[in-house]
Amino acid sequence: MPLLKVDGVTSGYGDMEVLRDVSLAVEAGEIVSIIGPNGAGKSTVMKVVFGQLRPWQGKVELDGRDISRLPPYEIVTLGMCYVPQVANIFTDLTVEENLELGAFALAGREVAERKARIYELFPRLKERARQEAGKMSGGERQMLAMGSALMLDPRLLLLDEPSAGLAPKMVDVIFERIIRVNQTGVAILMVEQNARESLKMAHRGYVMANGQNRVEGPGPALADDPDVARLYLGG
Amino acid sequence: MADLDPTGATGAATDATSPPLRERVRAALQSRTALVVIILAVLALLWWSAVARDVSAERLLSLTVWGVMLGGVIALGAIGLTLVYGVLKFPNFSHGAMVTLGAYLAFAFMAVLPQGPALRPFSFGWEFLAALVLAMPLVGVVALGLDRVVYRRLRRQNASLVLFAMASLAMAFFLRSLIYLIWGPDFYFYYDARANPVLDLPLNIRVQADQLFIVVLAFAIVGLVHLLLTRTRMGKAMRATANNPDLAQIRGINTERVIAWTWIMGGALAAAGGVMYGLSSQLRPEMGFWLLLPMFAAVIMGGVGNPRGALVGALIIGVTQQVATAFLNPAYGPAVAFALMVLTLLVRPQGLFGARGG
Amino acid sequence: MDPATLVKAILLAPTLTILVFALVRIPWRARVPLGLVLGVGGAFGAAATLDAGLLSYLVSFSIMAGIYAVLCLGLNVQWGYTGHLNFGIAGFFALGAFTTALVTTSAPTGTLAQYSQQAFGLELPFLVGIAAGAVVAGVVAFLIAIPVLRLRMDFLAIATIGIAEIIRLVFQNERWLANGPQPLRGVPRPLYCTVQEPTCAWLPAPVAAWLAPLAPRDYIFIYLGIVTLILALVYLALERAVRSPWGRVLRATRDEETSTAMSGKNVPRVRIQSFVLGAAVMGLGGALYAHYTVTIDYSHFNPLFATFIVWVMLMLGGSGNNRGAILGAFIIWGVWSGTAFLTEALEPGLRAISETLPDRSAYLRWLLVALLLAAIVLYRPQGLLKEETIVSRHLLRRRGAAATTPGATATVGGAPPAATAPEAAGRDPGGG
Repeated sequence: MPLLKVDGVTSGYGDMEVLRDVSLAVEAGEIVSIIGPNGAGKSTVMKVVFGQLRPWQGKVELDGRDISRLPPYEIVTLGMCYVPQVANIFTDLTVEENLELGAFALAGREVAERKARIYELFPRLKERARQEAGKMSGGERQMLAMGSALMLDPRLLLLDEPSAGLAPKMVDVIFERIIRVNQTGVAILMVEQNARESLKMAHRGYVMANGQNRVEGPGPALADDPDVARLYLGG
Repeated sequence: MADLDPTGATGAATDATSPPLRERVRAALQSRTALVVIILAVLALLWWSAVARDVSAERLLSLTVWGVMLGGVIALGAIGLTLVYGVLKFPNFSHGAMVTLGAYLAFAFMAVLPQGPALRPFSFGWEFLAALVLAMPLVGVVALGLDRVVYRRLRRQNASLVLFAMASLAMAFFLRSLIYLIWGPDFYFYYDARANPVLDLPLNIRVQADQLFIVVLAFAIVGLVHLLLTRTRMGKAMRATANNPDLAQIRGINTERVIAWTWIMGGALAAAGGVMYGLSSQLRPEMGFWLLLPMFAAVIMGGVGNPRGALVGALIIGVTQQVATAFLNPAYGPAVAFALMVLTLLVRPQGLFGARGG
Repeated sequence: MDPATLVKAILLAPTLTILVFALVRIPWRARVPLGLVLGVGGAFGAAATLDAGLLSYLVSFSIMAGIYAVLCLGLNVQWGYTGHLNFGIAGFFALGAFTTALVTTSAPTGTLAQYSQQAFGLELPFLVGIAAGAVVAGVVAFLIAIPVLRLRMDFLAIATIGIAEIIRLVFQNERWLANGPQPLRGVPRPLYCTVQEPTCAWLPAPVAAWLAPLAPRDYIFIYLGIVTLILALVYLALERAVRSPWGRVLRATRDEETSTAMSGKNVPRVRIQSFVLGAAVMGLGGALYAHYTVTIDYSHFNPLFATFIVWVMLMLGGSGNNRGAILGAFIIWGVWSGTAFLTEALEPGLRAISETLPDRSAYLRWLLVALLLAAIVLYRPQGLLKEETIVSRHLLRRRGAAATTPGATATVGGAPPAATAPEAAGRDPGGG
């Protein structure tokens, strides 16, 4: 049984259909990357998976349990956390408070221990612990966003465009951290504009277009697929 | 709801090339420093015009001290208002009515509590404090009830800001008519004809002990709110929800619970403000409406969602209103508050302590 | 039918006819005869069958409803068509009322001047007075608009409450201006001489003889005609305005401010124009009110009677729809008047709860109206009549020819969240 299963989901905003019959799965411990052109519905998939948008049809299952009717604050307690593309930190709060709120569902001693682990992964955050999060650079924000999402020790992490708007050097750093997080056993489902890079590090990939998933396959193979390359990788 | 973010107003000036001079001048004019300078200039102008009209320095000093007291009353109301505004993102026009409700509920409690002797040097006895403590949570529960019946439904419908504002206006009139219906249009006092001795402080300042009590209580409550927001889980969750409600949910915060506690706190603080206002003057059904403009002015001046800012704004508004009475009909108090509010909105809509401007 | 009843019926007929014209939406070929039949028939029927007291009650009811309808139309320009959240209608209402009072009355002299003060009294005719009321309200709105209209919608609401409150405070405290907290009396009633003895000098003898059966207390029949006429003129003028290119820019500004600005329209100017126009219409409503009640003071222009209830009317009738605004005014004024009977009926019950409660039963009416607004907001925020999506007659004609144009109807209020914008922006596979 896959860790996460999206089964024939159709959804959208208001009357506007954005996703049509989308299905995908993530196995425990793997990196899965969704690529596709702008407007293909990639971010919308994330929103449906995380309960911010209800599916009109189909369902989302985590560990075989239907979570498509659960609010986001309950989903996090089931072992899945989410880093949105924008507005993914509390800008008015300090770095430390951001991390603590990441573990809002927990209490007491555990929080301190988890915080130490995140600081180990992102030493930069420790230096800035007392600083207002809104005053940090783009790369630091992304680290904090990922760090906060990892505070609950999830088995699956959803990343929406983790490299968007970052300097090229920072992109490499973030991708390297993603792999390190994955190596600790956390499965990752990510949406990326930086399609080639993200497919290379992914175990598997999905290609979306016009609200449907079209192609599916092992990440590196997709990156080399001439059709995918021509259509979506700007080759 | 990006348009509700106070940073949205001026946050777009991040061009790589250096901005033209006009833009830089404009940015400087919209800085916090500029707003502080303008507020100080207004205060100085007020004092100066009072002096120019031969108002004695002693009287001015007294007026200033009374202004701080009034500021304390406004602050109690404004802190609740700013919390609700920050977390729920709409101006709650029924906050004034909750202030009034708190004052009248305390009055009702005092009628049934046994009357003890006055706690000298104050004019009130234990029953007054008990009534205050009882009225606060009760108004909090009323606020929560209104949320359950009205505002929560609107949230579920993803209603626009306008409908929230409109609904709160409806609730303002609802509560007000309820107060009129139960207590009628007459004035009341917590203590009829009880001596309220005046303390003589140094520099010939004469204040009532009650007034000092109001200020101390206001500061104590603001301090408590600050601790609550920075030290407790619920407080941090409130700040997180005010900052970014969607992300708060994603981080595992049950925002509905946060909203419920915000209403309870907002209502309780409004009640405290009402009781203090009633103690310093008298109970009238319109008292909360009279405070509504000063409260909103304090909230906007301090930056929406910022309790510390609301306190500072309230003190500034209180002092300005009182000092202005040296040469202006006291009835124009709300007009003075209004002028300061418009000034703030023009110079720096995000207020003194609002999020960064650039 | 006695002569007085006959005259009343004839005076009522045009009013009812205009109402039918305004509210029934059928082709004019059918509307004119229907309006005439219903209007004239209704007027004679009502005059003949209803008791004189009830008839007078209905007429004074319609006058107030008509005045509120003018206020509602003013608010509709600001809110319905432009999206200005004006919570300070009372201010412009008061400005119109006090202006016309000062323009049309005479300044007190002699001993009277000790009891009643006013800045000036020009003794000018009614029409000049109401025009001045509209102009002053418009000018004040213009002065306010420059700093305030740039504000976010919620701040604008707070600021307009403040403006109305300050205007009220000025009329309450400035004795020299309009007799301070004391009422300003003797606002003249237009054409009042027609019901007086002797009648107006300029009135032709046959008309005078025809009006002779009317007593001074029947003056309201004349004033209803005046209010109806002005309401109809305002309605027609606004309908024309919102269907003009200017009106289209207004609505475009409300819905999509940025793109309207990018298409080269001067957005700030249009927003100010609509705020001023709306305020002027409210001032006109205030002026009509002053000439009806004869005596005005600051307390009339409180937030409940002068702001809140107008919002309830517009929200119920339907924002962005002028017919809805008028309909809402009549319905809510009917509800408000009806609650008076309700509280009367409830009196024994109220007395059972508390001996003094019936004295305060008026507040029960406020309570009901507040609950009504809450109910509208919760259950029918779009109002009874929805905004009409097509407003250009030109377009209407074309559309009739083309039968259906799918996708042309804009949804109002139900717009998808902003998050969809980037997703929906470019659907074509980029690159290549």
